[in-house]
Amino acid sequence: MKIFVTGIGVISAIGLNAEENLCSLKAGISGISKSPLYNLMLGEVKLTNTEIIQMLGLPIEDFSRTTLLSLLAAKEAWGRNKIQGNIRTGLISATSVGGLDRTEKYYFEARKSKSPGTYKLMIHDNGTTTQRIAAGLGISGYIGTISTACSSGANAIMQGARLIEGNKLDRVIVGGSDPLALYDMNGFSSLNIYDQDMCKPFDERRKGLNLGEGAAFLVLESDAGISITGNTPLCMLCGWDNANDAFHHTASSVDGKGAYLAMMHALNKADITSEKISYINAHGTGTGNNDLSESIAIKNVFNDNVPPFSSTKGFTGHTLAAAGAIEAVYCVQSIQAKAILPNLNFLIPMIETGMVPETTFRLDKQVEYVLSNSFGFGGNCTCLIFGKVH
Amino acid sequence: MYITASSTISHHPTFRKKGFSLHLSELKPGSELITPDYSTFIPAMDRRRMSEVLKMSIACSLDCLMQAGQPQPDAIIVGTSMGCAVHTKIFLDKIISANQGPLAPTFFVVSTHNTIAGQLSLLLKNHGYNMTHTQNSLSFEQGLIDAMLCIKSGSNHILVGGADEFEETIYNMKERLNNENIHITSGASFFVVSNEAGKTVPVKLVDVESFGLIDDSSLLIKGFMDSNNVSAREIDLVLYCNSDQNKKAEWQMIFGHGKMIDYQKIAGTYFTNSAFAMNYAVDILSYKNHPAFAGEIHRVLVCNNLLPENLGLVLLDNKID
Repeated sequence: MKIFVTGIGVISAIGLNAEENLCSLKAGISGISKSPLYNLMLGEVKLTNTEIIQMLGLPIEDFSRTTLLSLLAAKEAWGRNKIQGNIRTGLISATSVGGLDRTEKYYFEARKSKSPGTYKLMIHDNGTTTQRIAAGLGISGYIGTISTACSSGANAIMQGARLIEGNKLDRVIVGGSDPLALYDMNGFSSLNIYDQDMCKPFDERRKGLNLGEGAAFLVLESDAGISITGNTPLCMLCGWDNANDAFHHTASSVDGKGAYLAMMHALNKADITSEKISYINAHGTGTGNNDLSESIAIKNVFNDNVPPFSSTKGFTGHTLAAAGAIEAVYCVQSIQAKAILPNLNFLIPMIETGMVPETTFRLDKQVEYVLSNSFGFGGNCTCLIFGKVH
Repeated sequence: MYITASSTISHHPTFRKKGFSLHLSELKPGSELITPDYSTFIPAMDRRRMSEVLKMSIACSLDCLMQAGQPQPDAIIVGTSMGCAVHTKIFLDKIISANQGPLAPTFFVVSTHNTIAGQLSLLLKNHGYNMTHTQNSLSFEQGLIDAMLCIKSGSNHILVGGADEFEETIYNMKERLNNENIHITSGASFFVVSNEAGKTVPVKLVDVESFGLIDDSSLLIKGFMDSNNVSAREIDLVLYCNSDQNKKAEWQMIFGHGKMIDYQKIAGTYFTNSAFAMNYAVDILSYKNHPAFAGEIHRVLVCNNLLPENLGLVLLDNKID
């Protein structure tokens, strides 16, 4: 069964919509800068919650930033789609923060004032943030949330495809969102994998990641869906897989077994050989462990024919549960624009692999299939393969 | 597809007690969770760092895999609304007490929602599909749908469960459910869903649906039965949970004189208590003639309306084809 991508929307540190994001990728302009407030390198979306609420014309309510970022990206992807009675439509979002951005604010305030004051603390659960996105789009029915740490966004996309393939849905809007949260800034800093300078994916000098925030959504449809909506396919989602590294809760195995399995199974699902891949959008967080493990896994899959690859996290920062979704949108754009996307801040190849990522935005004769990797805590490894419509 | 193993930790003696459905009662104030001796399942070193939800989930999962005689499931799927909520709260406290000074990552790394599924994969050295669904009161049903999709695409045995732990400082469940008269607690129920029946009485997982932002629960229940070619009279037992007492009367209209049991009063309130209900149903269905019911029970419907805007439906039977 074919799964078509018929809409994309994205908001990140490098743009408030898909076109702005692509322009920044072309121009090689990073969205990461030093935050004076947090004294960290961050990929912030330059809009306050109040500004987003005004842009969306929402009532002044207690919205999680997860929902607000999602609504901007989801509405862009959703476009002029309507809810029709005879088409089964669903929404699957991914988040690791959920309503925790509000929870931490109220909890810290309550602790400071020594009063419990927990009456506001009821939007923490991820599901509620997704319900508000669904309400904003007018979707009811299958409304789901995936939370598998940094692979969540890719898993939400995969889940949507599987629900279409399993004849549960005809059309589904899938993606992910995470705002910056003090919780994660403190967490990743405590792990000593936070680069105090710009992150340098796949570079020998890499010291760690920079956090970012954002959201991205894609509309997936079956043939039956398209026959009703009349939407034009942008590309196809051809392959997907989730496998587990089963090595360590936070670290990737030396040979990247989980990543290797996910890529091999996704190629198998897409029914293509590895030579067909024109570009890999790597997970490439910029941590010592991830980039080495992922490089070895890529080498094991592609042997001596590693296609052009890059990590776009030097542009956006690591947007956690949104990353897989944002990068999926970039993969769609790569196919549409026939472009290989650049990897920022790269200078020296890793000693162990000598692999050199693409460092400039480069147009190619043909970008037929694009592979996207997303990995998360808990050994969670997901691979998606997008392809041109034939 | 079939339920070939099931395991529950609750306020009742459910764990490793086949036939537990005979001994259930409504929760009394002050009632507490009955937990097994975790040392049987988890080494002491690992146990110390584990939250309740993780320990419960591991014990139930290992119990299930032993029952099914399947040490390596093809996939591990967990439904949990709040994940490791207690560790989330602890790490928030650590951030405050560290006051921008050095901070240990211990509680951060084990507070992600997929800690349960991830730890299970690590423990089993399982490289298969590993997923975590977090759609508040529908987390478990979505996990089950995922398991059914795995079976449909060729898998043989799926470990799937629902688990949540009590945490009231950072999340006000009573406020969220708009109900002061509920017993908020923790619980875990895991299952092995297989493409073929097990050795014991076959309990079939007929269908599962998850509906969000619903208008009319009765209409959806009727539609669900229609799509499965089952009439209301053919449902021998309804295990239900809802936030609005008027709903019971409305649903009773659908099922006529059919028996209905409010499982929330037995399991207590947590977002994945429908997983408890499913094991309750499995236990009842594994009797040919359950002593607690007049007449044979062949078909059970679990109706989860814990949040008024959500409806989860699970249909099980023990019919032999």
